[in-house]
Amino acid sequence: MKKNIILTVLVFLLAATAVFAQGGKEADDGQFHINGNVDFYVSSSSGGGSDIITRTITDIAARHEFVDAPFIVYNQPDGNGQISRRTVSTARNADSTLLCFSSGDLTAMIQNGGLTLDDFRPLVILAADKHLLFVNANGGKYHSFQEVLDAVANGAKINVGGTMSDERVVYNMLVEELDASGSFTYITYGSGSETIAALLGNHIDIAVTKPATANQYVLSGDIVPILALSTTRFSTPFDTAPTLSELGYDDVEYPMWRGILGAKNMSDEAVAFWADVFKQVSETEDWQKNYLERNLLVSQYMGPEEASAVMYEAQAAAQAQN
Amino acid sequence: MLETFSLLGHGFAVAFSLQNLGAALFGGILGLIVGAMPGIGSLAGCALLLPLTFHFDPTTAIIMLGAIYYANMFGGAFSAILINIPGDAPAIMTALDGFSMTKKGQPGKALFISNYSSFIGGFIGMVILVFLGPALASFGLNFGPSEMTVLMLVAMTSISWLVGENPIAGIIATCLGMMISTLGIDIVSGQIRYNFGSIWLLGGINFVPLVIGFIGMTQLFDLVIQDRKKEKISYVDVKIKFRDTLLTKDEYKRATRPSITAGLIGTFIGFLPGAGATAASFLCYAVEKKISDGKTLVPLGQGAIEGLAASESANNAAAAGAFGPLLALGIPGSGTTAVLLGGLMMWGLNPGPMLFTTNPDFAWGLIASLFISNILSLAISLGCIPWLQKIVRVPIGVMIPSILVICFIGSYSTSNSMFGVVIMIIGGFLGYIFNKCSLPVSPLLLAFVLSSTLETNLRRAFLTSNGDLTVFLARPITDVFLVIFLIMILVPMGRAIYSKIKKN
Repeated sequence: MKKNIILTVLVFLLAATAVFAQGGKEADDGQFHINGNVDFYVSSSSGGGSDIITRTITDIAARHEFVDAPFIVYNQPDGNGQISRRTVSTARNADSTLLCFSSGDLTAMIQNGGLTLDDFRPLVILAADKHLLFVNANGGKYHSFQEVLDAVANGAKINVGGTMSDERVVYNMLVEELDASGSFTYITYGSGSETIAALLGNHIDIAVTKPATANQYVLSGDIVPILALSTTRFSTPFDTAPTLSELGYDDVEYPMWRGILGAKNMSDEAVAFWADVFKQVSETEDWQKNYLERNLLVSQYMGPEEASAVMYEAQAAAQAQN
Repeated sequence: MLETFSLLGHGFAVAFSLQNLGAALFGGILGLIVGAMPGIGSLAGCALLLPLTFHFDPTTAIIMLGAIYYANMFGGAFSAILINIPGDAPAIMTALDGFSMTKKGQPGKALFISNYSSFIGGFIGMVILVFLGPALASFGLNFGPSEMTVLMLVAMTSISWLVGENPIAGIIATCLGMMISTLGIDIVSGQIRYNFGSIWLLGGINFVPLVIGFIGMTQLFDLVIQDRKKEKISYVDVKIKFRDTLLTKDEYKRATRPSITAGLIGTFIGFLPGAGATAASFLCYAVEKKISDGKTLVPLGQGAIEGLAASESANNAAAAGAFGPLLALGIPGSGTTAVLLGGLMMWGLNPGPMLFTTNPDFAWGLIASLFISNILSLAISLGCIPWLQKIVRVPIGVMIPSILVICFIGSYSTSNSMFGVVIMIIGGFLGYIFNKCSLPVSPLLLAFVLSSTLETNLRRAFLTSNGDLTVFLARPITDVFLVIFLIMILVPMGRAIYSKIKKN
């Protein structure tokens, strides 16, 4: 019996040591260089948009030897992503801890509370995306946004589907511009593909989503873009959708950017170093062809200052709606 | 029809290349291992391995991940049957009859039935996927919020058989499960609810650590007590011979019919966006209970071959069915297929309605490789039975630390954080208290799994209809499911009243 207890305690301690153990590394004072690994956090699970961009960046940076240290990607979706954000914000190895961050994450961070951009060092924005409204081409109630506007004028109730993050923010901006909050109901879905499924089944009237999510369904003729939530029209196959200003309203847009944040205590030298690394990544053909083009994203490199300004502006918009 | 055969033949030509066959074999073995390890499961298994496939040829990559997903459904039953720890949510129903058989000294037989039914369910799912895939995927789109709400209600009727002798205790456990499922961010409104100021609770409670705690840890406490009292040396104290694992003609018969029924229903559930293997296994178990009520040698839940066969066949059929919406529409039917969807994008493919046209090698190669994975998984699993069944003869003194390690690793690996371990420990203590107070644990776990889907869809249905209740009546699919729901609820009540009147 005693033996069993001792064995149990030993195994317990071993298991606990294994799960608690974490590597540490330090940056030398004065001069910046990376010691050990680069910890790159992703606040969602593998296979999502944030994970794909992070894997692409780390892969390009490692292959082109822009960084002389191995990247370790951590997918930590706990606490609706807030745990990984807090981990990065307070990281001890501040100079080599990074966080993949998008405007969708920003919305979630503000909704969750407790953290703001002041808890990080904005490093770069690498790509941008905007939204469109889509209707079902087969059996949908509406065929153009003008028809939607007419229906609103006649007192119709319209169901709009989208995700909880940036799509919801841009939807709120649209409804405010149309001054028709009573006519629309927003139905939240877990992902862009879930929203498209609901639209294809005619369970919602309109879907708010991004071009990359909708592209295949537009090409197959299953859904039709009816409004570009942007100041200019999109390229083909989305060019048939007018902007709001073409219909007599002010344009509405909430660009969904994808960028990277550093830890709060990251040194200025490290900020400059990482900005340069990601600039080099954004200039590679791999990035342009295999990531941006494939995901129908716009190349939009912004360094620390410019990225910071855009992020703070988006934070103000998200805080205003929260 | 001929064209389908020719495309499938082409798919087999792709799948039979040395590289792809190797990928299927590697995925199959890995899937069995991650499935057998409670807590890792197909979702985490595919998510962990997805980055490794970044530079693979897309067809080879999806064949490997598809094999992992598929073989995981075979492996998920191992720990459920042998040590009563469901490796994944769908295996909860497997544990009910599977572990009861183990306690009766038939672990090998239970494993054999599980593999046999998994194979049949998977095969049915794949055949339907080949011939009716795109059509069923399009039909699945008709399942909106109101249809999913009623479907979840039907699935929830399976809870009524798990409440045990004390219905009040069962209802308390069910309500507790529903309450735990409401923690975290509200998916419909985006508001934070019941997080008690903790950022850890923002994402809610993860199911896997909870089930490992409630079942695995509680099991551990029991073993420690048994070991202390020297009641038992191991789970099964009799020697098990290999020939005891083989099924008799009658047992084959009893396993085959439920496997076919569950295979057909499970495939259909798998096709629905967002339903997945868990709902399939619960529903098929409920249907089997209805079909074979009074006709089984032992009641379902106490080691009935029919129950084990239904649950396992449904798992695998749904796993195969979930590929339908993914390949035909680019819409994931389950958590794991959502990870695979991410993979498709990572490998440079465009998932969507044109995948079959633009990448036929990929789509048909994957379908053909699923057939191969099914056979490989069956062969490997059957080959493992002689060794696996020895686990139950391991002395309890060795079993205790081993299960403890499995519980820790499983709950940590769910989200790579200690939060899972904390949930598991709390779940373990609660489970122990439940045991002492004779409160059933299964209703809590089932209510937890089904409630979030039920709640989300119920609220979406009310939002889209502006609170109009007729949204559940004015649609043909909901009407059908409502009738099934009412039969499930009213028939046992009617029978009870009838027998009471007859008695008097």
